[in-house]
Amino acid sequence: MADRVLDYCGLKCPYPILKLSSQYPNFKEGEIIEVIGDCPTFEKDIKAWCQKLGKTIINMEKQGDKLKVTIRI
Amino acid sequence: MAKYLCGSLLNLHCSIENCQHGEDFIKILHQCISVLESLSKGDTSQKVTIFTDKGCLKKLVDTIHRLTEEVEEFLNLNHELAIGICEHFDVLRKLQQGDYSVRASEDSPVEIVKMLGQLINKQRDRFLDYIERLKEQHAEIVHSYEQQNAILSSVGVAIVVVDEDMTIEFVNKELEDLVGYSKKELEGKFKWTDFVPEELLNTMIEYHKLRRISPHLAPRQYEAKIKDREGKIKDVLINVAMIPYTKKSIASIIDISERKKIQEQLIHSHKMQALGLLSGRVAHEFNNILSGILGFANLIEEKIEDSLIKNYSRKIIEAGERARDLAKNLLTFSRKEAVGESKKINLSRYLLEFAEFIRPIIGRDIQVKLKIPEDEISYRIDPSHLEVILMNLVTNARDAMPDGGTLTLGLKDVNLDMDYYYTHPLVKPGHYVAICVTDTGIGMDKETKERIFEPFFTTKPKGKGTGLGLSTVFGLIKGYGGHIHVYSEPGKGTTFKIYLPHEEKRDTLIIDRKALKGDETILVVDDDEQIRRYFSAILKDFGYSVIEASDGFEAVNIVEDNKELISLCLVDLVMPGISGIETVKQIRKISDKIKTIIMSGHPIDLKEFESIEKTISADELLYKIRNMLDKKE
Ligand SMILES: Nc1ncnc2c1ncn2[C@@H]1O[C@H](COP(=O)(O)OP(=O)(O)OP(=O)(O)O)[C@@H](O)[C@H]1O
Ligand SMILES: [Mg+2]
Repeated sequence: MADRVLDYCGLKCPYPILKLSSQYPNFKEGEIIEVIGDCPTFEKDIKAWCQKLGKTIINMEKQGDKLKVTIRI
Repeated sequence: MAKYLCGSLLNLHCSIENCQHGEDFIKILHQCISVLESLSKGDTSQKVTIFTDKGCLKKLVDTIHRLTEEVEEFLNLNHELAIGICEHFDVLRKLQQGDYSVRASEDSPVEIVKMLGQLINKQRDRFLDYIERLKEQHAEIVHSYEQQNAILSSVGVAIVVVDEDMTIEFVNKELEDLVGYSKKELEGKFKWTDFVPEELLNTMIEYHKLRRISPHLAPRQYEAKIKDREGKIKDVLINVAMIPYTKKSIASIIDISERKKIQEQLIHSHKMQALGLLSGRVAHEFNNILSGILGFANLIEEKIEDSLIKNYSRKIIEAGERARDLAKNLLTFSRKEAVGESKKINLSRYLLEFAEFIRPIIGRDIQVKLKIPEDEISYRIDPSHLEVILMNLVTNARDAMPDGGTLTLGLKDVNLDMDYYYTHPLVKPGHYVAICVTDTGIGMDKETKERIFEPFFTTKPKGKGTGLGLSTVFGLIKGYGGHIHVYSEPGKGTTFKIYLPHEEKRDTLIIDRKALKGDETILVVDDDEQIRRYFSAILKDFGYSVIEASDGFEAVNIVEDNKELISLCLVDLVMPGISGIETVKQIRKISDKIKTIIMSGHPIDLKEFESIEKTISADELLYKIRNMLDKKE
């Protein structure tokens, strides 16, 4: 189970990753987070974010329009 | 905008359906609507794929293409911007947490993000630089602190730092040893005044305060006393300075108790030497005069018939004889009396008998104890000397115990090593016989103790004591190359310790004194006038002619002018100007017939030079000189 779930559905990119970044200082090293979004470029953005910040994507799951991404901080 | 476009297209679509246009037309419109709908959600992946060249439709499709491209470009920019900001945000966060290994990326296609990255990196580098400089400065401070600490700890003298309120702030190892407390117990807990004896307290506090008003108001260096953990008072030399920018002072403290004691011993021994010389002279003259008086008095006595006058002259002779005894004692003190016949005496047995002998004399309320080792100890000595020594000490002990007490006679073989020599520089290391006479009597204060060996010093009422007892003892013991020490405490008692060197040490001492005489000329070179006088007096007494020189330069000049006359030079080792060794070398160059002896204050080994110690006894010196002069090359 994820340590925290961040639901950014209804938000247009790039708001989800901006919000994620501002939340990031509260995360602990090694924590597992789940980010959910429904913007069409959400997948692209979250991948870029993980790559730039050196985080690992553990799982990615489509649920209808929504995309659920599990990340290790 | 895409939504609005989509809405108007739907209206357009309805009106077109009512007209009779072809199926393609409808399809294209459908596609346009769906592309615009995706676009409105931010999805730029959909495209109108059906081709048309119909004027207004083509225009519509082209516009949607352009719109898609623009929206895509706009979105891309937006994403780049967002990702860039997220990335920089993360770098700043890490820097803030103290992780300086990170750098912001400077490769964003968005100009402002790239500039921001550069700015962050520049700021980071500057900050790192600053930290590096701080670290260096810190290290420098730590090093200098450690260096100073090392200096303070290893200077070899006690160091203490004292705050304005007298609290001890820092001490080194030597100070711990000096006062007997550990660093932990001292620092911040004790006040400096805790170690100052009562009588010095006010002076020290005064100095402390004055120094803080202006450093030159109090002495920088002074002698004082401190009291250690056991309450023992130590003589110290203190050096104080203020620490700049503070109200703290730093003091170095040297324990000079030992040095003081040795100094006192030396002064005392010099004084005794001078007194010996003086009283010897006086007694000598006195003896000559007495010989005349006694001689003529005897003549008168023989010539007189009248018994009354005969009786008077008898009184003169008796008084004269008493005076002669006195002079004899004085001569003993100054070691001019001929050494009597020595024989080997079993000291262990002698003391046993002596104890029996004195028991009835010293009174019933004084207990006599003996401390004699199992192994018997023998010593070669004139028995009458031994008796004089012991009788004098025992009589003094008895006088010191008018209300009774215990008298202890002790005997021991001892080996005085170099350690003992360092604290008693006048005593040569070696094997000694130690005889102790201890009483539990009134004891002596410091002032008395300092003077007891002086001839005529007495604290006894007139007529009771002559004050010659101990000076005679002193003279006799010196004659055997021995030493006498006294330990005394007022009200507790006194111990006299006699050290007599074992035979091999003083073989040369029992010599026919006539054989020591000579008529050669000897040059005495020493910068110390007293020592020079002392040696020349001895030499002159034994018939030698003496020339004195106060330094090497003068000595060489004298030898130059008198090389036929001078037979031997006695040269001090340490002198201002040319050293003793150099002087001897130059003298040897002038004439190889002149013998040389170097005198030193300490035992030394000068391979190619004859040498003696200044503490040598007169007899030994004369013996050595005679031997050298008589030695044929
Ligand atoms: N055992 C002792 N206890 C205390 N004081 C002593 C002792 N021995 C010597 N003294 C002190 O040393 C002084 C000098 O002693 P010293 O034997 O030279 O002379 P004296 O005893 O006074 O006179 P004399 O020996 O001629 O009768 C004494 O007067 C005394 O004050
Ligand atoms: Mg006496």
